[in-house]
Amino acid sequence: MEIGVIGVGNILMQDEGVGPKVVEILKSSYKFEPEIEIIDGGTLGLDLLPYIEKYKKVIIVDVVDFGKEPGFIKVLKGEEIPPYLKTKLSAHHVGVQDLLEVARLLGVMPEELVLVGIQPQSIELGLDLTPILIGKLNELVNEILLILNKWGVKCVLLSHQR
Amino acid sequence: MARLVIDPVTRIEGHMRCEAVVADGKVKDAYSSCTMWRGIEVIMKGRDPREAWIFVQRLCGVCTTVHAIASIRAVEDALKIKVPRNADLIRNLIIGNQCVQDHVIHFYHLHALDWVDVVSALKADPAKTSELAKSISSWHNNSATYFKAVQDKLKAFVERGQLGIFSNGYWGHPAYKLPPEANLLAVAHYLEALDWQREVIKMMAILGAKNPHPQTFLVGGMAIPIDPESQNAINAHTIAALNKYADMGIEFVEKVYIPDLIAIASFYKDWTKYGGNSNFLACGEYPEATGKLWLPAGVIKNKNLKEIYPLDHKKVMEYITRSYYTYSKGDKVGLHPWDGETTPNYTGPKPPYEYLNVDGKYSWGKAPRYEELPMEVGPLARVLVAYASGHKEVKEVTDMVMKKLGIGLNDMFSTLGRTAARGVIALVTAYKIKDFISELAANIKKGDYTIANTEKWDPKTWPQEAKGVGWHDAPRGALSHYIVIKNKKIENYQMVVPSTWNLSPRDHKGVRGPVEEALIGTPVADPKQPLELLRTIHSFDPCMACGMHVIEVKEE
Repeated sequence: MEIGVIGVGNILMQDEGVGPKVVEILKSSYKFEPEIEIIDGGTLGLDLLPYIEKYKKVIIVDVVDFGKEPGFIKVLKGEEIPPYLKTKLSAHHVGVQDLLEVARLLGVMPEELVLVGIQPQSIELGLDLTPILIGKLNELVNEILLILNKWGVKCVLLSHQR
Repeated sequence: MARLVIDPVTRIEGHMRCEAVVADGKVKDAYSSCTMWRGIEVIMKGRDPREAWIFVQRLCGVCTTVHAIASIRAVEDALKIKVPRNADLIRNLIIGNQCVQDHVIHFYHLHALDWVDVVSALKADPAKTSELAKSISSWHNNSATYFKAVQDKLKAFVERGQLGIFSNGYWGHPAYKLPPEANLLAVAHYLEALDWQREVIKMMAILGAKNPHPQTFLVGGMAIPIDPESQNAINAHTIAALNKYADMGIEFVEKVYIPDLIAIASFYKDWTKYGGNSNFLACGEYPEATGKLWLPAGVIKNKNLKEIYPLDHKKVMEYITRSYYTYSKGDKVGLHPWDGETTPNYTGPKPPYEYLNVDGKYSWGKAPRYEELPMEVGPLARVLVAYASGHKEVKEVTDMVMKKLGIGLNDMFSTLGRTAARGVIALVTAYKIKDFISELAANIKKGDYTIANTEKWDPKTWPQEAKGVGWHDAPRGALSHYIVIKNKKIENYQMVVPSTWNLSPRDHKGVRGPVEEALIGTPVADPKQPLELLRTIHSFDPCMACGMHVIEVKEE
């Protein structure tokens, strides 16, 4: 498998859990040819490094504060994702940017990496996405399918009829 | 093109903030505060106790397994379930592997740059660095060519104007004491440790089926089959792979981490004078076949190593006098976690604010106390309790480290001692993992494939009401989950995490928490660059991203 889709986020914090939610949808509703790996990256950390270096092409799905209205979706490619430049790194709080920075430092970045980001409405404690983000899930999934299509992956919607 | 400001929303379980009052170049007082509310306890109520671990492990990316372990142990304690030996062994391997990886990551990627000046490494002579490396270790990457390559890589980084993960350091600060050669050596190992950690953690992926967020935990045992005949179970190949990662752990800790720790610490021996505490709590870890714990549990009071008190969870009380909560019985009382309440009551300043209101409530963290005493938890507590209890391996390695540094046991009550203790634990644990693998292999050879005890899986077998405690001496220190089960559902769920102990605010008596206390007396050369304070704070391996705020008091 040369392509990986990683949904990251904390499912305990409402819209923060959108990455894992998208992973769930992709896994249960689609079949991909050739096969791709779909990963629930959860609350992340350096532990995701092996997944970053394993594939030639990687899609990361995450909530991003774009400073836009909730549900705003944007696809960022490689260099558009700014490097880590914030306060002192704590190994226990490695976000997507830190992870990519470490990958750059070690020279293990994939050939192509895109971040599909969505603006959250709420990241308070709670197990469900907010209605706005639930309404945007199809669009978010479509963005990912489009990218996969461009990469030559056929995405087949599975029928759930019994 | 218009530039978007991007800020991935935090998934941190709580931010730490520390305010220190500095006068005459020294810390006079300190306040540590958690600035985010962590209310996981609230969403656990009414759930099936058997699935609690799936939720709590999502709290944090690195600490994922630790909460799962504490959670299943709490439920097993409540329902009086005895776990088969093989399940304990696999848990021990997961715990041990995570501990070794975590301590190395902590040392190199969180803590080392408090002592190592990255920019100074550019001035190093690679040939001299090579000599230094050869003099302290037989680690293979030690040639002048190798160190030159590392230096070039670093130079390229700096010249691009992007220090990346090295940005925001206090480079050039007068408190940095290492010669350039030692700095270059440490930077080289910083990079090697990044490479190493992603390999060594694969033990977790084998035993947890997935990492992060392993999926093989189970109340009553583990959900990973043992079958020498199957490709998809623990078999001879698995054992060989486990041994490979265990050896990789030993080699790196023995030949890189420990020599670096000693080499760096020898330049900072004045740090045996700062950052100490008096009371320590270790909950013990690694169940042995005998039923005992390999690393002992115990409590140390007032630095007295002659008497180790047995740990009794009933003596743990949480106070919220200075925390943003309210108790139904009033804010001065302490509550045992089984009776714990999580009712937020924020009385702090409206953000964004400059300073905390330290005269009132000032933290989202509660103040746990053991017999009314604040307790430091973590590697130093583990080492001191084990050492004082006569633990052979811990004593040997601690004595070796102390001897090489020329320090005594009393010097261990310090920032340097805490950092050294983490190395001691990493090394003894790396060795011990091999024993656990051998025992597992021997069991399989005997035909013992039992991995779970499912007698109490069916809730019909449960009592109407049950209470349990799950202890786990996680890398950062004693972690405990408390569960109350009523009518087959969770009635109350409380967690006392290591950082709750260490970063606790003041209590009902106004007594400082361990980090607050440890900071008192620390010298601060430049209040605008509080590097010295970060050394002590980071030595605790705090769970929160560290926002440091210094109040400077000018004496007229």
